[in-house]
Amino acid sequence: MKFFKKKIRESSILYQRSRGEKVLFGIVFALFFLYAASLIFPLLWLFINSLQDRTIYEVNLALGKAFEFPSALHWDNYAYAFTQLSYNDANIFMMFFNSIWYTIVYTLGGVLMSAFTGYALAKYRFKLRGFMYGVIIFTMTIPTVGTTGALFNLVYNVLHIYDSPVYVILKHLCGTGLNFLVLYGFFRNVSWSYAEAAFMDGAGHARVFFSIMLPQALPAIVTLSIVSGIAAWNDYMDVLMYLPSFPTIASGMYGVSRTLPRQGYSTVYFAALVISMLPILIIFTCFSNVIMKNFAVGGLKG
Amino acid sequence: MQAEWKDALENAVQGASPQAEENAPIQSVLSTAPEPVHPHNDLAKRKKSAMKRRETIFLICILALPVLNWLIFWLYVNLSSFVLAFQDNAGDWSLINFTLFWDQLTSPYGDTIGMAILNTLKYFAVNLLLIFPLTLVMSYFIYKRLAGYRAFRVIFFLPAIISGIVLVSVYSNMISPSGPIGAMLKAMGVKMPEGGYLLDPDTATPAILLYCVWTGFTTNMIIISSAMSRIPVEVLESARLDGCSAFKELIFLILPMIWSSVSTLVIFLLTGIFNASGPILLFHPDGGYNTMTLSFWIYQQVYGGGTYGGTGNYGLVSCAGLIFTCIGVPFILFVRHLIEKIPAVEY
Repeated sequence: MKFFKKKIRESSILYQRSRGEKVLFGIVFALFFLYAASLIFPLLWLFINSLQDRTIYEVNLALGKAFEFPSALHWDNYAYAFTQLSYNDANIFMMFFNSIWYTIVYTLGGVLMSAFTGYALAKYRFKLRGFMYGVIIFTMTIPTVGTTGALFNLVYNVLHIYDSPVYVILKHLCGTGLNFLVLYGFFRNVSWSYAEAAFMDGAGHARVFFSIMLPQALPAIVTLSIVSGIAAWNDYMDVLMYLPSFPTIASGMYGVSRTLPRQGYSTVYFAALVISMLPILIIFTCFSNVIMKNFAVGGLKG
Repeated sequence: MQAEWKDALENAVQGASPQAEENAPIQSVLSTAPEPVHPHNDLAKRKKSAMKRRETIFLICILALPVLNWLIFWLYVNLSSFVLAFQDNAGDWSLINFTLFWDQLTSPYGDTIGMAILNTLKYFAVNLLLIFPLTLVMSYFIYKRLAGYRAFRVIFFLPAIISGIVLVSVYSNMISPSGPIGAMLKAMGVKMPEGGYLLDPDTATPAILLYCVWTGFTTNMIIISSAMSRIPVEVLESARLDGCSAFKELIFLILPMIWSSVSTLVIFLLTGIFNASGPILLFHPDGGYNTMTLSFWIYQQVYGGGTYGGTGNYGLVSCAGLIFTCIGVPFILFVRHLIEKIPAVEY
C-alpha cells in the first residue's frame, strides 16, 4: 500500500520532466555525484592509510608517492592509538569519557532550556513575553564581536570556573539560539486542546508541560539533541580554551595532530581520527532520517 | 441557570490561564461575561488568582535558569567587554587600547588587523555570495527528487557530523604536493607552490576558502529543503500545468513561499559578518601565511599560544570588538529591516 502511494506521488506532474529539464537534471546529477565522491573518497583514503605500515607511508610521503594500498593490514596502528596515544595526560579512553560527559551536559542544558523558553513564550501571554522574545531575537541578530576577552575574564577571574566542568554546566544552560527558534516554532503549532482538557481534569502547568506538551515535541527535541550532540562532540575550540585539563576526543585529536605526524606516526594519527569519528558516524547512520525530517526554522517575527 | 453560568466562568478561567491563540473563544466568554453580584463570584476570583499564581510560579521556575544564564553570559559579558575596552591591563581607565588598535591597524610592519579584516570579509563574501545561493539551488534539486536524492542529502550532511580536525587533516593531505589531488594537478601540469597551496602566503587563504565551500552545504541545506517540503504541492502542480520552468518555479514560487526560513538564515549569516572565518587554528595555529582572520586574531590575543589561563590581554580585544560592533550593528539592523520588508507568502 505504501509502495502504491509512493508510486502515485512519484507520478505527480511535479516530478515529470521535459527533455530540457532531463538534461539539466542529468548535469546536476553528475555534479552532485562528483561532490559526493569528493566527500567520501578522502574518508576512504584516511581509513586505508590508517592500515598502512607507518614506515612505508612516511617513505612514500618523502618520495612524493601519492597513494599506495597497504600490502598488509596494520591494525597495530589502532592498537598503538588505543594504548600509547595521550594528550595532556589523558589517553584515548579518558578523552572519550570527557567527550561523553561534555556532550551530555552541553546537549541536555541547551535543548532543555530552549524547550523551557520556547514553550513559555509560545504558549503563555505574560507581561514580559514580548520583551523577552524581542531580547532573544535581538541578541541573536546583532553582530557582537570581541567578547571573548570579557568571557574569559568572567570565567577565569570572576566566577573561578576556568578548567572546571562547572563551566560547561553554567555556560550551556542557555535557552536562546537556533534551538530556541526551532522549539518556539514547534510549540506555536502544537494544539492547546489537550492541555485544556488536562487543566480541566486538574493537572498543573508542570504536568501539562512534561506529560503532554514535551512528548509532542519529541521529534524536534530528538533532532536538536542529535545536532547539538554532534556539535558538542566535535567542539575543540571551547575545550582548548576553557577546559585544558579535560581534553575531549576533538581537542585531544587537535593536540596530537601537532605531534604525531611530525614524529613519523601519521598512520597512528589517521587511526586515531578514524576511532574519533566512529561513534558519531554510527549515531548519524541510526538517526539520519530523524534529522532530515524534523529540522525546521521559521521566521523571526514573534 | 446560575450554576450553569458559574461552570462556564470556571471553565473559562481554567482554560484562559495559558493564553494561547487557540483559547480566543474561551477568553471572549470571560471578557464579555457580565460582572456577577453573587457571593460565589469571590470563589471564582480566588480560583482565578490561585490559577494565575500557579502559572506565575511555573513560569518563574522554567525561565529562571535560562534568564540567569543570559544575564551572566550575554548581558554581563557584553557590558564587561564595553568597560574593558576603556581599561588598561592594570584595570585603570585609559584609551590605550584604542591607540594600540589604531597603531596595529595602520602600522606598515604589523598588518595583522588589516589583513584579518580583509580575510574576514573574503570569508563572509564567499558565505553570502557563493555558499548560500549554491545551498539554495542544491536544496531545490534535492526537493525535486533528483535521482539518488536521499543518498546525496545524507552524504552532503557529512561535513556537519565529522569533526573539523578530521576534515582539515584529510583536506591538507589531499591537496599537498604529495597527496592524491596535488599529485593529479601536478600531472596535469598545474603550477603549484613548492610547499603546496597551504604553505604559500598567496594561496593559503584561497585554499582555506575552498575548504569552506567544500564543507559548507550542511545544516542550511537540510533547513531549506525541509522548508520546501512543507509547500502545498497543489500550488506547484498548477504552476507546472501552466508550463512554469524549473528556474521560474524556484525564483517566483518556491523562494517567496520559504522566505521566512530563508530570511532567518540570511540574517544569521549577516550577523556573523565579523566572525566569518575558516578553521585557521587547525590549518595554521600561528595564523601564518597571511591566513589571519578577526575571530582567530581575537582567539590569539586572549589565549596566546596555549598558555594555561590565557594571556590576560582582554582590553585590546574588547576595544576591537566595540569598534566592529559599532560598525556592524547599524548595518545589520538596516539590512534586517530591508529583508523583513519583503513579505513572506502565508499558506
